[in-house]
Amino acid sequence: MTAVAAPPPRPLWRRLLGFNLLTAVLLGVGGWYVGWFGAHAISAASIGYFADTDYNELSVYLAYIGGVVGFLVGLGFLNYPLARMRGYPPSLREKETHGWTRYFSLCTDHKVVGIQYLWGIGLFFFIGGLNAMLIRTELLRPNHQVFPAGTYLTIVGMHGTMMMGMMTSGILGPFANYLVPIMIGARRMAFPRIEALTFWLLMAAGAILTTTIFFGGFPTGWTGYAPLSNEANPGMDNYIIFFALVGISMTLLGLNMIATILTMRAPGLSWTRLPIFVWGVLSTAVLMVLAAPVLIAALGMETLDRTAQTTFFVAAGGGSSYLYQNLFWVFGHPEVYILALPGFAIVLELLPVFSRKPLWGYRLAVGGLLGVSLLSWFVWQHHLFVSGINGDLRPFYMLSTELISIPTGFTFLCGMMTIWRGNIRFTVPMLFCLAWFFNFLIGGLSGVFLSDVPSDVTTHGSFFSMAHFHYTIMGGLVFTFFAAIYYWVPKMTGWELNERLGKVHFWTMFVFFNSTFFPLFIAGFEGQPRRVVTYSAHLQFLNDWVSVSAFLLGISMLVFLFNLVWSLAFVKKPAEANPWSSRSIEFQLPSPVPVHNFDRIPVFSSDPYGYGEGPVPTWVAPAGAPAGRE
Amino acid sequence: MAAEPTAAPATPSDSTNHGLRVVVAWIVLSAIATPLVAVFVGHLVPPGNGSTQGTEQVFDNTWMLSVVTPVICLLAVFFVYGLRSFHAADGAILDGPPLRNDSRIQILWIVGTSVTVLFLAGFGTYELLQNGAGGGQGPDPIAVPAGSKLQVQVIGQQWQFTYRYPALHGLESNQLVLPENTDVELHVTSLDVIHSFWAYELGVKADANPGVDNIAFVKTKGPETFHVRCAELCGLWHGYMYNNGRVVSPSQFRSWATQQEKLYASIAPFMNKSAADGGAPYARTYLPLPSERAG
Amino acid sequence: MAEPLAHAGTGYEVVEQEPPELLGRNLISASHLLAGATAFFFVAFVFAYFYLRSLDNGGLWKPSGVDASIGWGTAVVACYVVSAALVRLGLADHRALRRSQWRQKGGIALLAGVAGLVLQVIAWTHESFGPADGGFASVYFGWTAFLFLFVFLTLVWLEMTVATSVRYRALETDAPPPGHASGDPYRAAHDIRDPLSLVRAELVGLSFYWTFLAGIAVVSWIVLYLI
Ligand code: HEA
Ligand code: HEA
Ligand code: CUA
Ligand SMILES: [Cu+2]
Repeated sequence: MTAVAAPPPRPLWRRLLGFNLLTAVLLGVGGWYVGWFGAHAISAASIGYFADTDYNELSVYLAYIGGVVGFLVGLGFLNYPLARMRGYPPSLREKETHGWTRYFSLCTDHKVVGIQYLWGIGLFFFIGGLNAMLIRTELLRPNHQVFPAGTYLTIVGMHGTMMMGMMTSGILGPFANYLVPIMIGARRMAFPRIEALTFWLLMAAGAILTTTIFFGGFPTGWTGYAPLSNEANPGMDNYIIFFALVGISMTLLGLNMIATILTMRAPGLSWTRLPIFVWGVLSTAVLMVLAAPVLIAALGMETLDRTAQTTFFVAAGGGSSYLYQNLFWVFGHPEVYILALPGFAIVLELLPVFSRKPLWGYRLAVGGLLGVSLLSWFVWQHHLFVSGINGDLRPFYMLSTELISIPTGFTFLCGMMTIWRGNIRFTVPMLFCLAWFFNFLIGGLSGVFLSDVPSDVTTHGSFFSMAHFHYTIMGGLVFTFFAAIYYWVPKMTGWELNERLGKVHFWTMFVFFNSTFFPLFIAGFEGQPRRVVTYSAHLQFLNDWVSVSAFLLGISMLVFLFNLVWSLAFVKKPAEANPWSSRSIEFQLPSPVPVHNFDRIPVFSSDPYGYGEGPVPTWVAPAGAPAGRE
Repeated sequence: MAAEPTAAPATPSDSTNHGLRVVVAWIVLSAIATPLVAVFVGHLVPPGNGSTQGTEQVFDNTWMLSVVTPVICLLAVFFVYGLRSFHAADGAILDGPPLRNDSRIQILWIVGTSVTVLFLAGFGTYELLQNGAGGGQGPDPIAVPAGSKLQVQVIGQQWQFTYRYPALHGLESNQLVLPENTDVELHVTSLDVIHSFWAYELGVKADANPGVDNIAFVKTKGPETFHVRCAELCGLWHGYMYNNGRVVSPSQFRSWATQQEKLYASIAPFMNKSAADGGAPYARTYLPLPSERAG
Repeated sequence: MAEPLAHAGTGYEVVEQEPPELLGRNLISASHLLAGATAFFFVAFVFAYFYLRSLDNGGLWKPSGVDASIGWGTAVVACYVVSAALVRLGLADHRALRRSQWRQKGGIALLAGVAGLVLQVIAWTHESFGPADGGFASVYFGWTAFLFLFVFLTLVWLEMTVATSVRYRALETDAPPPGHASGDPYRAAHDIRDPLSLVRAELVGLSFYWTFLAGIAVVSWIVLYLI
């Protein structure tokens, strides 16, 4: 292969003019107006049906479609399909090798996309967290005090939707994109452009959801139940478009992951040698590919109800509110395991490193992940136990829901037995993993209460269920998210994070997380309903306690943010290549990982968990492979 | 790179039977904790004894608590013991024994969790089928208490509940008053969006969907006041969609009924006809006709 | 460790070539996964159809006068099926190295697909009922509209494949000039060397997906017009 010298870097102004975020935002706003006025022109021209209906949102939808298309054009996503449509074959890569500008443009280097994801998701996680702080401020008093009822609902809805939409890609986005190709010995993802697309779609979606406040917000919470959503004001459209874009992004992300793992594993990397993290990604990705389309379809129906006056969800017009509930939860339940499974995988991936023992019961662990992923399709009506939908099927859904405890238990068993008799090092990532056991046990067992119909009758729609899912998500997913950050960010950026600040972050987060959400189980049992500004006066003490803890939790997150910015932007202490003495392949590479990942494609001879089983294996080039560096 | 880890000796030097210790501690702890939880925490769990269904839920929750207590104990013992005994000496990175599997432990765990889970599901189903546990069961309930029942229709709309008593000539009121020690059959429906009828002390919750007759059963006990609250997000004033209901003696119930009938006499002719007058027992005509829909 | 896995600070020039069949494998597994996602998407509509039909809320599932015209429907679906079948046959041609026949079939398939889309628009304007006329009307318009969207995107893919093989029709196996694809001579190394090998890989994926989607169209025809 001919080595060509890298092109001379272009001046900054020239780079700003090209396809990048700046252009994208400008074209996005432009496209929004084009869509908006275009739609009005359609109505003005009285094209058929739409103009006759006195209530429709067509222009809003066309505006957002225009905006998103403009955004993608500005980033350069249409260059490739347009070239292809003119018959030119694709260029395999558009990797910018240097310069910070690549983080603000379409970049097909999976490592750049991973880092883009980390900051992008972090941004929206932060916005979602700020919303949570506002919620807790309002709930300081049992009566309406800071926000009008409608604003409160919008805040809760934005918080829930933002978190659920963004954090589904919270681990697959940054970490799987960055690590899966490396872990399987590849140099790229199967579809690098689609990989970049998933990220930028998510950013467009996030911006759209955030701007819902300018359009009156939406009153439905993250579930968006019809027919309430049919009668809601235009802010509702932001919700619908947000979730549809997130759905598309999720489908493509999952598709890309599966294709990569299926086709691009390096020689010798058999299914039983795959790092457990990759298994977790695979089982999550399957759920993403299959569940997200159902959500998109449901939102599509909702869109038609709001624009074309169809009556999918309007009982008075031959539709049914149950239809939306069914479709939403067919997606919604797999969705919650999309949040949980990567967390399981990270715990199982990290415990061997910090206990210095092989992962115990590899096959059982894989079986657990796949089992959860399979069972999660058969439980969705546990969200509808009192809704009157299929009352006779409740025993079945009770059983199937409780069965999920069994494969989830496998993760617990394998994790615990991995620690057993190891040499545990209480590093920051390890602490977060250990906290996962505590949090997820409480979250999971409270889920078992909810899955029991007689118990659910009282706890449904109360803060008990709210505490349940914050324990599973915040305590399960977000804790492992941070474990992953402390564990892999030094690898990804090449700079160390401050360990002492990390420990402060961990302990404050662990303590205040529990003191925020545990009391809410009691509040829920006492009958505090979700999504309201008012609650019984006797619950005020509990709620004040929770609010104060939540603010302290917020401060603990700021400690983290400070650590991140301080260590990566100011201290810049270079990280060792293998700070944790891990046997995993990504730690055998330099930090940060070079653009091409490997000089030669490695050949695997074992899984990465052989602690106590001899020296780290050497990865060798296959016989007769073309030499890499000459 | 950090210090190369040194491999551990092939056989662990300490011959303590850690496993046995953990198991014994677990059994002792569970044996103490479970009865304590059942007795002292069990009766605290809601919704209390405001109705037969409420009592049933408390009983159910008590059982659940008793079953999960040993699970919690197991993890507590394991982690307290494990993290104290197996941490590395400062700075040392020493490989542990390469244990990769033990099928006996796996089988024990799988059997243990499966039995627990199946028991819970079976128990829950049994409790559910007793008398529906107060949950909305849809138009064709599977758990129907025997005997005669007072029928009440609960009609949700943005943002209040209306109660219709077919037995009282289709009386409609915005107060929910029930006679004591009576089996009540609630028919929950909605005129607009989804609401959820939640009578906390009675242990009743049933969603109100437009065009759906969602049936729930409750057997009242002694006189009391209970809270009714909407438990499904239904728009702007969802948070204010609540009021109180009462369980009263039969004579008080009768006098309340006559008083209400008098109160609403002037509008009675405009209401849906009652069953006795040839109308339907339940208002099914609340659905706005399609011709009246906007658009 | 004998030899480090990678050196920092080297450019991307050192990348060795990927196995040529990788692209094909990727595209094929992608088309299978896309088919799975598509199936779940339309299952939502199948479910809506049977669910709303069984509920018949307010007697408004299918008020009298609401009946989709089977003539138009058959024409639309027939176009889709013909197009998908032609792509299949075109793939066979391509495999047998009858490149020009594949290009013809591909072109006709594209036209047939577009004809289906046009017919669909005409069908909508000719229906005797509108989207607001009850449950069936909702499902009918929703399902056909989203099918329209999916077919449209598939046809874009088909167009790309046809366009590539038309542009390089003179060139049987040779590589295009360096930098032809990216327009950037520095990146010449990353162009697909043999665009026609790409056509084969894409065709396999595309014909699978298009057949699958046409199958969904047939299901929609059975559900919406026959039962
Ligand atoms: C990460 C996300 C996540 C996860 C993993 C779970 C896990 C579980 N969830 Fe949860 N759930 C949510 C997120 C999640 N949930 C959300 C967001 C909602 C609310 C949505 C909304 O309304 O807005 C919800 C709501 C919800 C409901 C509906 C409540 C209602 O509205 O009425 C139910 C009811 O069955 C339920 C049950 C369960 C169960 C049984 C599990 C199980 O998977 C838990 C299994 C785990 C364990 C049991 C612990 C570990 C196991 C062992 C140690 C083995 C031994 C244990 C036994 C033998 C019991 N969940
Ligand atoms: C991922 C899911 C997720 C997460 C993490 C959280 C986190 C939190 N949630 Fe939320 N919540 C939901 C999902 C989530 N929630 C959902 C789905 C609902 C239901 C909505 C509905 O009813 O429709 C809900 C509802 C909900 C309610 C109920 C409102 C009501 O019903 O009336 C409350 C009330 O206290 C609450 C509080 C909190 C708090 C205090 C946190 C805290 O843990 C937040 C702390 C976090 C921060 C302060 C941000 C810190 C971030 C950074 C510092 C940036 C990091 C940067 C990089 C990585 C680069 N949440
Ligand atoms: Cu009615 Cu909430
Ligand atoms: Cu669920």
